[in-house]
This record gives sequence, C-alpha cells and structure tokens, in this order.
Amino acid sequence: MNSGDDLNTLMGRYQAGDFAAVAALVDRVSPQLHRFFVAQTAIRSDADDLLQETWLRIHRVRHTYRPGEPVLPWFYAIARRVRIDHYRRASRTTARERRLEEAAGMTVTPPPEEGQGEDLETLLAPLSDSQREILRMMKVAGMSLEEVARATSCSVGSVKQKVHRAYQNLRDRMTVMGPKSRSGRETP
Amino acid sequence: MTNEDVEKILQSTSKVAPPVDPALLERIAGSIQPSLQPVRPLLPTWVLTGGLAVICAAVAVTAAARSGFHGIEKLRPWDCVLIFSALAVLVCAAGREFVSQLIPGSRQSLGAGSLLIIGCTVLLGTFSLVFRDYRTDHFISAGIACLRTGILLAVPAAVLSWLLVRRGFAVNPVAAGLTGGALAGLCGVTMLELHCPDFQALHVLVWHTAVLPVSAVIGALTGWALHRRTT
Repeated sequence: MNSGDDLNTLMGRYQAGDFAAVAALVDRVSPQLHRFFVAQTAIRSDADDLLQETWLRIHRVRHTYRPGEPVLPWFYAIARRVRIDHYRRASRTTARERRLEEAAGMTVTPPPEEGQGEDLETLLAPLSDSQREILRMMKVAGMSLEEVARATSCSVGSVKQKVHRAYQNLRDRMTVMGPKSRSGRETP
Repeated sequence: MTNEDVEKILQSTSKVAPPVDPALLERIAGSIQPSLQPVRPLLPTWVLTGGLAVICAAVAVTAAARSGFHGIEKLRPWDCVLIFSALAVLVCAAGREFVSQLIPGSRQSLGAGSLLIIGCTVLLGTFSLVFRDYRTDHFISAGIACLRTGILLAVPAAVLSWLLVRRGFAVNPVAAGLTGGALAGLCGVTMLELHCPDFQALHVLVWHTAVLPVSAVIGALTGWALHRRTT
C-alpha cells in the first residue's frame, strides 16, 4: 500500500467519523501544509493560524472528498483557498495600517522570523509565485504533474510549461552563481 | 548545468522540513473531535452533471410550453438537430465544469473562461449556419425582449442548479459563479430557440447569444459578492 492509498483510507475513515483517522491525518498532512504556508507567509505564527483555519475548512467540507480520488490535490486546493483569503484580508488590513502610519509619520519594518531563508526557499526565490508554488508541491509534497494540475485548477500542459520555465530559470541562475552560493549558504 | 543537476539540488534541499509544534497538531485534532460526525460523500460527477442537464432541459421546456413552441415549430428538422445538439453538448460541458468547480482538487476539463469563449463561438457558428435572413426589423426592441426573457429564465435555472450542488465547496467562487451563470444562460438560450419565432440572423446572433455571456458575468459577480460577504 503506498502513501496515497493510505491517505485515501484515512480520509474514508474520517468521513465515517473515526477520530483516530483524524489524528493520523493531522499528523501526516500538517507538516507539508505548514511548510506550504511558512514558505509563503514568512511569518511562522501566520502559518500556524493558516494551518488551523485550513483544518477547520477541511472539516467543514470533508464530504466533498470522494473515495478513490487523489487526496493530496484535495487538501492543497483547500489550503490554497485559505491562503488566498488570508492574503486578501491581510492586504486590506495592511493598506489601512499603512494609511494610519503615513498619517502619523511612522513606518514599521517587521523583524525577520525564525524559519525564514530555508534552503529550498532561497533557491526558489527568483521564480514567479506560481512557479514556486508548483515546485513546492512537486518537491515537498511529492505530487505528480496531474495532482498539481488538480490542486491548482490548471491543465497538465500549463503545469508542465511552468515547470519547464522554472527549471530553465534555475539552470541559468545556477550556472551564473556557481556551486558555492546555490543553496544560499557557504559550505563549511 | 542540466535539468538533472537542478533536480538533484531541489531534491536535496526539499528534504529539510521545519517541525510543526506537536501542541498545535493536538489542538487541531481536538478542535475537530467535538463536531466529528459521519458524512455522506458527494454523488459522482456524472450523476450531478446529468441532474444539472435535466434541470436545464426541464426549465427551458416548461417555460417554452407556457409561452408557446413557436420557434421550434418554424425550424426545419435538420436545423433543429444542429441547434439542439450543439446546445445539449454545451449544457453537458457546462454542467461538468460547474461540478468540477465545486469539488476541490477535481480535474479541470475546460476552465471557466475557456468554457464561455467556446460556448459563445459554438453558438455563433451554429446560428450563422442556420439563420440566413439578414433583415434587421425591430432589432433593438425585439432583441431586448429576448435578452430579458433569456436572463429571467436563467434565474430559476441557476437557483435549481445551486440546490442540486449546494453541498459542494467552490475553491474559486468567481469561476464557479461564472460557470454556473453560463449553465443557466444556456438554459435561457435553449428556451429562446424553442420559443422565439424571429429568425432574423442578426437578432439571433446578437441577442440570443448575448444571454450566455451576460448571465455568466452576473453569475461571476454573484460568486464574488457572496464570497466577499462571507470572508
């Protein structure tokens, strides 16, 4: 039984109201989702909040998962929605705060948080948001092109094209930067 | 540097995963436990798509029966076959897409925007093949009446469709609204083809086809407004 089948079984038991399956799913899927959020919000506490909100939403719409369908795209599609909603709310709040700060003649720079500057994120930094998101899903969650296409509501062709462009971009940059600075750190 | 080198570097860097606070995971599982009840998964896509197609056909035929089947009575048999088979295919495609929009992680066959473009193109192509009367008598007055009728009929079709798929969850409310609006608009167009006896080419091409994009835009705006209210 592979990991996908295992998650499918757990989802089926979750839908049947089995708490042990919920706890197992939370343990198995949360680290991936948390990393997905940390990479995009850069603030760990925000990622924690987003993870909780995602699970609440997953719980509310758990009936929309259909046994036999790939389970990771289902989780990621909901996580993406939660992230977009959060981003929109945050940008509205930030705009209001900025207006207040400008009125008071002050600016606030948020301090860097722990967890920023992960190796993969440093590597992916020069890519566009959509290219980074797709590579994260493929490399961190281990999703296939088809699964990424489902999670991002794109066609497989479009995902392939983004991956191709992302690789081309990374290849060009790595060739220019050399092996020492590839991961964004000095090798000891 | 080759793609394989990039792949190796990505693989090695992606293995480092930051740990998640176990207390947070416990809190999440604990918050789910009190409301944990067995749930019934959604019906298969083909059942929901079939249901949506039946709703559209029923609404269009009922409305045309009330106001008269003047259009279909005047059409030649082959023209009937061409128009209604095109509409049937579009309704099924729109229904399928609408269901996909309401199930997270579904395979997207067309995409909301493409569905609208393809729908309008197919309707324009079919109508331009069938209708060859190029007069423009009462172009505006008759056209607005047809557009209004089509859009008004799209409302009950949209409401009934939503009742059928209300347990779904739209990951993109605007796209879901646009697709649902397009489906309801196709119901409006079907009713107009059954009922409207005005066979002037420009009337059908402009005003009958316009029901589809107008209804889709109304659907998208509704999806956007509802989502904004809830968030």
